[in-house]
Amino acid sequence: MAAATARGAEQWTLEALTDLVFRILRDELLSVGPEFTPRSSLVESGLDSLAVTQLLLAIEERAGVWLDEGLLTPENLASAEALAACVHEQLLQTG
Amino acid sequence: MSSSSRPADLPLTGGDCFLRAFDAEARGWHRSSHCSQLVLRLGPDFDPAAFRERLAEVVRANPILRAPIVRPWGVAPPVYRLAWAERCAPPRVELHQAPAPPPVTGVRPLPEVFFARLNDVLALRRGELLRFDVVRWADGRSDLAMTWAHMLFDGSGSERFVAWLERIHRGERRPDDLSPDEAFGASETAGDGLPEASFRERGRVATLWQSRMKALGARAPGSLAGPRRRVRQRLRYTLDTLGPEETARVVARARERAGFLTPVLFYLAAAIRAHDAIFRKRGLEPGSYVVPLPVNLRPRGKAAGALFRSHVSILWFQVTPDQVQDFAGLVAELKEQRLASIKAGLVEHGAVAMDMARYAPKRCYAWMARRMLRGEAASCFFAFTNEFLPETTSFFGAPIENGFHAPAVMPSPGSGAIMSLREGRLNLAHVHQEGVLADDERALLRERLLADLLGG
Repeated sequence: MAAATARGAEQWTLEALTDLVFRILRDELLSVGPEFTPRSSLVESGLDSLAVTQLLLAIEERAGVWLDEGLLTPENLASAEALAACVHEQLLQTG
Repeated sequence: MSSSSRPADLPLTGGDCFLRAFDAEARGWHRSSHCSQLVLRLGPDFDPAAFRERLAEVVRANPILRAPIVRPWGVAPPVYRLAWAERCAPPRVELHQAPAPPPVTGVRPLPEVFFARLNDVLALRRGELLRFDVVRWADGRSDLAMTWAHMLFDGSGSERFVAWLERIHRGERRPDDLSPDEAFGASETAGDGLPEASFRERGRVATLWQSRMKALGARAPGSLAGPRRRVRQRLRYTLDTLGPEETARVVARARERAGFLTPVLFYLAAAIRAHDAIFRKRGLEPGSYVVPLPVNLRPRGKAAGALFRSHVSILWFQVTPDQVQDFAGLVAELKEQRLASIKAGLVEHGAVAMDMARYAPKRCYAWMARRMLRGEAASCFFAFTNEFLPETTSFFGAPIENGFHAPAVMPSPGSGAIMSLREGRLNLAHVHQEGVLADDERALLRERLLADLLGG
């Protein structure tokens, strides 16, 4: 939450969010190699429901936004990039 | 793994020790082992000779499959004594002829011998960890049960093992080609999120988890069998397999009610409500229903994951009979509890607590859990293991017509609902202790479960 407070919702650009989501997945949640990119399929990379929840909690802690679980569709979970876009959208909406 | 690089002992994981505690309880109180079973319903042309041959090669290359489980010096964490495996007999494979021809229409009955195996006593100290029973029907089809001491594999590991055997049969893998990671997992503590923490810190976390368990006991949980008592374990199971259209309906309802991410909570809610229906029929209202949900701790992603040993933690859910009455409300409550538990780190804390229990006497964990839950272990057992053996369509020459898990349920709680999907069909296995549910109660449980799964 500290990061979000310091940074402010308006400062989370799509690029910064994509990088954040990608780093959390690569470094903390998934056991993946250098072939994993922001466009890689998350399901094929081994993302499961527990990891998604842990990811949402990490995003909330660092970006200060809790992604509505109703938005967790196969399309939004297709890649780190797609998920970041969804988070960004929600950030803009919640101000 | 070559024999020269193989360790003499392999520690049991925390999950293994958790299951070993219930195995000790099953031996001491119910004259049985705590086993699990995977059943394959096969079409024609199963080749038992090839199966025996490949299995013998696999056992020679992987001594854990017949390694005695011992506790060095009586105090250190228990181990699979790989060094003694060669002195032990390989897993038994028994062929049985079905007593009667299969019915002309409908599904053939489940073989009685499978139920008997679930209630057998395995000699863990003599390396008896695994056995196979094959029942051949007059029409050439077969049923195969793999029954194992529950700590040798978890549900996911057992499926990986069966898929690996089939790939060996096809010549795509070799009996000796498992890397240590693929065989055993990275380490005993890798999945718990605190592998680097000090013993003291791990103890603190385990105590937190213990407090959570204690809190579950505050609203006295109830099970259909009641608190533990000395009875002979006599488990049986029934299987319902839904057709593709019904299954598609259930899967769509699960997504709609519990979300794309957590359909498991839809199935859990249905299982709790089915058990609640029997409590109500009996005119009983326990303080709460407490149900554990196993959580897979294998690394997600490129790492192949482990075949052997248990790699699980547990999430506990608790609801009151009042909360059970509204299905949508119950699903929402379970979702909330799941999120709160994950947020509080209870998946990791549970794994640490089970790891710490490796140092305790083997019955200690089950004794503590029952003490905290007022003699109960849970209100019922539940698992939804998703796709069963995806991508494996045949086994040693025979097409797999169906397959499912039937893990042992302790005589208390005496009832468990185990669900999985196989090629677009939902399997509902109800494992129960004989005498805990009357025939009309089992019919009610089934009726209520199907009504909730399928909807109006």
